[in-house]
Amino acid sequence: MAEPFKFYECLALTRLMGRKASDIIEFLEIIGQISPESIFHHMHQYFLRRHVIAPEFSNDFAVWIADSLGERSLAEGVANLNPYEFTNIEDARKELIRIISEHLKIYPPPRPAAPGKEFFFTEGVSFLIPTGLEAKDLDEFARRIKEVDGTSIYFHFYEARLRLGKKEDDFSRFFEGLGRTDLADKIKAMDPYMYSTEVLRNKISGLVEGLA
Amino acid sequence: MNLKDYAGISEQSDIRAIEAMAAKLAGRTILHVNSTAVGGGVAELLSRMVPLMNGLGLNARWEVIRGTKAFFEVTKGLHNALQGKGKQITKRMWDIYESVNGRNMDRMNLDADYVIIHDPQPALLVGKKKSGNWIWRCHIDISAPDRVVWHFLKGHIEKYDAAIFSVSSFAQSVSIPQYMMHPSIDPLSDKNVELSETEIAEVFNRFNIPMDKPILLQVSRFDPFKDPLGVIDAYRLVKKYHNCRLVLAGGAASDDPEGARVLKDVLEKAGNDPDIHVLLLPPFSDKEINALQRGAAIVLQKSVREGFGLVVAESLWKGKPVIGGNVGGIPLQVIEGVTGFLVNSNEGTAYRIRQLLVNPEMARKMGAAGREHVRMNFLITKDIKSYLALCLAMEKKGESVIYL
Repeated sequence: MAEPFKFYECLALTRLMGRKASDIIEFLEIIGQISPESIFHHMHQYFLRRHVIAPEFSNDFAVWIADSLGERSLAEGVANLNPYEFTNIEDARKELIRIISEHLKIYPPPRPAAPGKEFFFTEGVSFLIPTGLEAKDLDEFARRIKEVDGTSIYFHFYEARLRLGKKEDDFSRFFEGLGRTDLADKIKAMDPYMYSTEVLRNKISGLVEGLA
Repeated sequence: MNLKDYAGISEQSDIRAIEAMAAKLAGRTILHVNSTAVGGGVAELLSRMVPLMNGLGLNARWEVIRGTKAFFEVTKGLHNALQGKGKQITKRMWDIYESVNGRNMDRMNLDADYVIIHDPQPALLVGKKKSGNWIWRCHIDISAPDRVVWHFLKGHIEKYDAAIFSVSSFAQSVSIPQYMMHPSIDPLSDKNVELSETEIAEVFNRFNIPMDKPILLQVSRFDPFKDPLGVIDAYRLVKKYHNCRLVLAGGAASDDPEGARVLKDVLEKAGNDPDIHVLLLPPFSDKEINALQRGAAIVLQKSVREGFGLVVAESLWKGKPVIGGNVGGIPLQVIEGVTGFLVNSNEGTAYRIRQLLVNPEMARKMGAAGREHVRMNFLITKDIKSYLALCLAMEKKGESVIYL
């Protein structure tokens, strides 16, 4: 019998790296050197926060390139980088460097950011809080996933997979343990970086209820 | 004052996280030290946070350093220099700074598991560090400091175990870990609690401010960085088209001797315009500020340098759109076109005021979005959560994923 699914909620303390990029060249250099935690943080902190209005892109790098450097086409390329295609952060870093480098082969570097609008690198220290909520089967899972905070969806879906280096998200792994690979496959086929955690919760909940 | 009082206001997940982390830290001693017991955002925050931390089973206390008038003149100079707009700090001034910190070191009990020193005034107390985790909590904008002053201070800051800044752009190249924590407001304090229309009207009446036309309000210390003179200029540009009042309300803090000089300039510039109301509020005017913010049509925070500018969050919490300078922590609170407007000039300020005065529905929507933005991001429960997380992070140095 599969282990029960234990729901954790998550919070992040933001650690400042003391490094900033004023222009795209400096940015590219730092991207090559900064911690994997920092790359992860800037690609995911959007999902951990709640927003009164969603930023244009969910990844901090794309937002900065668009807003502070004014280089829309590069911002679009960076925004389109889908972390879900990678199972480790180093591969995502390489792809980010490739996208920017390719752009710079074709276009001149954009103007530097105004003072105060540089890119400030940060990383997150994550704290995982047990909710005491568990699910042994799909019925229980469908009930519990509606009770937890959005940070729980964030952790089990994004952070557990990419940051902790697991091959798949916690939800898919649980469903596979129950022998429901059909459900796991449907979860894996989603385009999760296009959703807020609330929408993702509803999608997963809908799939489980539809197939339970 | 109890964490349970925030249920239904703060995020429920924040309350759960605080309880889980406080249980891990039960009995730990936490000491906060700052430079003034009244006046200014730090004192206000600590007066609420310390009792709440005690209610969570922690052993928290708050101490205030004692300083002379000369000391506070020096630290105001340091404060300005760190914000990039200072005069030279002479050797005599450094001597005063060091000797007052030294006397406080001798006088104060600084033993605690976590010692959190707020701002530059008491920063040298770290010289007495023997044990515990020492954290320097910087509330001001030091993104472009006077290099000589920062060089001197940096040597002391690096004796701490960690530093906290309000905004990521304030981070420095230092050898100790640095964290970002936004400051917060307390929705249940006298400054922010709900007031009735009668209570609001009573305060306006007491200050002789008729509520007969839209009121523009800036609440801030009388400090050049808050640009009260620019606010008067912007008001005069608006006044050509719209009949409105301007209220400039500020307090005097015991560690801010420069305030009197700026107030004099403001009064001169206001002249005898009956629609400009300059209020010098005494300490403990929280209810009055609350009422002024609630009675205003538009709130301004036209700073040219700012630490975080919590007065913005206070005003947004009351459902008011805010027009703020694009500096420090203001852009984190004022989301352009959503919770207010960011401005870079007196003309820009006037333009946005005019825009909101003729679009009351836009102002209402921005105010509502602002309140929700503050609820999700800038309430005291978020701040306590971050402090507790930092304490735990200090005990598990080097770990980036911590299971409770």
